Amino acid sequence: MDLNYTPEDIAFRKHVQTWLEQNLPKTEIRTLEERRAWHRKLYEAGYLGMGWPKEYGGGGARPMEQAIVADEMARANAPAPTNSLGLGIVGPTIVVHGTDAQKRRYLKKILTAEELWCQLYSEPNAGSDLAALKTSAVDQGDHFVVNGQKIWTSGGKIADWGLLLARTDTKVAKHKGISCFLMNMRQPGVDVRPLKQITGSSEFCEVFMTNARVEKSDQIGKLGEGWAIAQTTLGYERGGRALARITNYASHFSRLVGAAKRMRRHGKPLIEDPVVRQKLGRIWSEIEVERYQALRTLTLLERGEHPGAGGSLTKLSYSELEKRFMELALEILGPYGQLIEGAPEEFQLEVETAVAEQGSWAYAYLWSRAGTIYAGSSEIQKNVIGERILGLPKETRADRVGGKA
Amino acid sequence: MNFSFSDDQILLKNSVRAALDEQCKPAHVRAMFDDARGYGPELWGEMAKLGWLGLPFPEEQGGADLGLVELALVIEEMGRAAYPGPFFATVVLGGLGIMLGGSPAQKDKWLSAIASGKARATAALLEEHLDWDPASITATAAKSGSGWTLSGLKRFVPWAHVADVVVVPARSPEGLSLFLVDPKASGVTLKPMVGIDLASRWSEMRLDKVPVGADALLGQAGTAGPLLDSLLRRAAVMSSAEMLGAARRCLDMSVEYAKVREQFGQPIGSFQAVRHRCAEMLLEVENAHAAVYYAAWALTAGAEDAAIASSICKSYVSEAARRVCGDSIQVHGGIGFTWEYDLHLYMKRAKALEPLYGDTEYHRELIARHVTSSR
Repeated sequence: MDLNYTPEDIAFRKHVQTWLEQNLPKTEIRTLEERRAWHRKLYEAGYLGMGWPKEYGGGGARPMEQAIVADEMARANAPAPTNSLGLGIVGPTIVVHGTDAQKRRYLKKILTAEELWCQLYSEPNAGSDLAALKTSAVDQGDHFVVNGQKIWTSGGKIADWGLLLARTDTKVAKHKGISCFLMNMRQPGVDVRPLKQITGSSEFCEVFMTNARVEKSDQIGKLGEGWAIAQTTLGYERGGRALARITNYASHFSRLVGAAKRMRRHGKPLIEDPVVRQKLGRIWSEIEVERYQALRTLTLLERGEHPGAGGSLTKLSYSELEKRFMELALEILGPYGQLIEGAPEEFQLEVETAVAEQGSWAYAYLWSRAGTIYAGSSEIQKNVIGERILGLPKETRADRVGGKA
Repeated sequence: MNFSFSDDQILLKNSVRAALDEQCKPAHVRAMFDDARGYGPELWGEMAKLGWLGLPFPEEQGGADLGLVELALVIEEMGRAAYPGPFFATVVLGGLGIMLGGSPAQKDKWLSAIASGKARATAALLEEHLDWDPASITATAAKSGSGWTLSGLKRFVPWAHVADVVVVPARSPEGLSLFLVDPKASGVTLKPMVGIDLASRWSEMRLDKVPVGADALLGQAGTAGPLLDSLLRRAAVMSSAEMLGAARRCLDMSVEYAKVREQFGQPIGSFQAVRHRCAEMLLEVENAHAAVYYAAWALTAGAEDAAIASSICKSYVSEAARRVCGDSIQVHGGIGFTWEYDLHLYMKRAKALEPLYGDTEYHRELIARHVTSSR
């Protein structure tokens, strides 16, 4: 056990810091083209697709190096690259399950942001019960025809391609009839409509597919393997942002302490209120414990081990913490915390370009409600933890009665 | 960066578990409830042989010269077994106290005796107002010839009734100082304080003009504050390791029970209400593990954040262990509330340690001081 960073990691961190100092965009990124340009600059520096195989344009880097890059980007409040789903989910899926031809066709263009990607998984009636999805893909000999509706599609508006789960067999148990495809979003049969969230913005879309076409060569894995492929892809990228996430929290926390030093209650600085101090002390402990856990996860990844269902513990832990943290922030900040406009500088959250989110406490508070729902709700994570880590028996489920599942 | 145990550390953990599984079964813990000493001398001798009693001490004094990560591994296993005996008091409170502040002669005398199993030690860190801040100590040490006479009232002194030496903080004319006191000396009165964890023992220790010699002074007179801070941090993290062990035992028992206990025609672990509770317990235990071993490493390595990591550890683990042990009774239902079932042994061990060496609120205030001064 040695929790010091190695001299190599420290030197690499320094190198990344220097690069960021010299290359950070001087002005705020406003357009997609500006963000693509920044994305390419990051890629050319070797900071994207770091863990992907070199022969397909990746960097073959260690998990710790990836974590350090993300961490330093968070520290420098650097703008995020675009194509987060291409980098985080689609690319790794193609790396693991794709054919050589698919890898050559798609991976490099994800890294250069020539093609932007979205993920077509959830449906209106298939959320936590993802295997209940109804979108169909019917074999037409040389291609598939896709019909159905997807929802909660991040980045759907700008996506050129989508990673699709669709049903190819209705006669077998529900999770055995699902297949995985790459679908061109730029075709007449695909209609993308933005979905306005409680934040007032539209990071998500609804996608309607009417006789959309998917080429046979764009099928990932074998027919019926879609569920298994989705299970593995949901586990990717658990480690990459492990340190960066904590650095973001720490930066928010500093802003919060700064605000509490300016506010007063009963004639005294709020920061002297023992109740406030207890709550700040508590949340800081939780943030630090999250950092310790990130180091444990990185240790595993560095040894080439996959956290597996342990990723569910990580996701449950940080997403629930983020809710508690933002609840405390808005409690301390009072009505300042609810401002989406007109907040004095000292009561603003820095513009959080690092995750391409807007920069108000109010927005961060509202957005924290999403974290315990997307990518497997907290309830689903607890089921996974219970069944796969603790070995507790599966529940009797209505859709399995009669032995169909 | 490597946050995992070495092969040697895993070997140590496994050997401690094997020894305690064999020699510290729940029946042994229960047998000690009514024992006058409260611990078994055979197991104590065995621990000396296995090198546990000298684990963190220098080799010159018969120790193994290992760090706090190794010591935490041993103590976590003791929490898991609800080990009844003065290991923590002797090795952590007395032993580390003497190791941190003692003269070569004091270390030679006491650390060697502790490592070989001949002596037991403890420290009297708490007075009637229960303030862990060393600045609050009111016991006095008046100059008397070449030595001192000590007076004051100490409470919750762990295992003082079997100790050969007690580290006692008191105010001398020079300021806060530490003294080595023989609990059998004239002027010392011990009175048992019996808590819910019958496998742990506390005493009230009254010092009425207790004479001690010049060689009883631990460290320089008037400089005990920083030394006590160091000792308290170590005690906070090591007691967290013990709570962690107790909590993990409660979690394991709950999961095993939820797999076999049937209601409504199926194992209760298949119900989400129970399964989700178990998942939350695991999360708390895993986070507590990270907090304990991060802090143990930071203290051993002298890391910059060692002090705050100790406070984070104690405040986090105290609450986590309380919740996990409490929830384990809930998962078990009525059987978990019976004296015959062993769950309460571990639950009570964690509860007994929760307020010691700074409770959650005490440490959160220390954390708040740190984060508000540096921001």
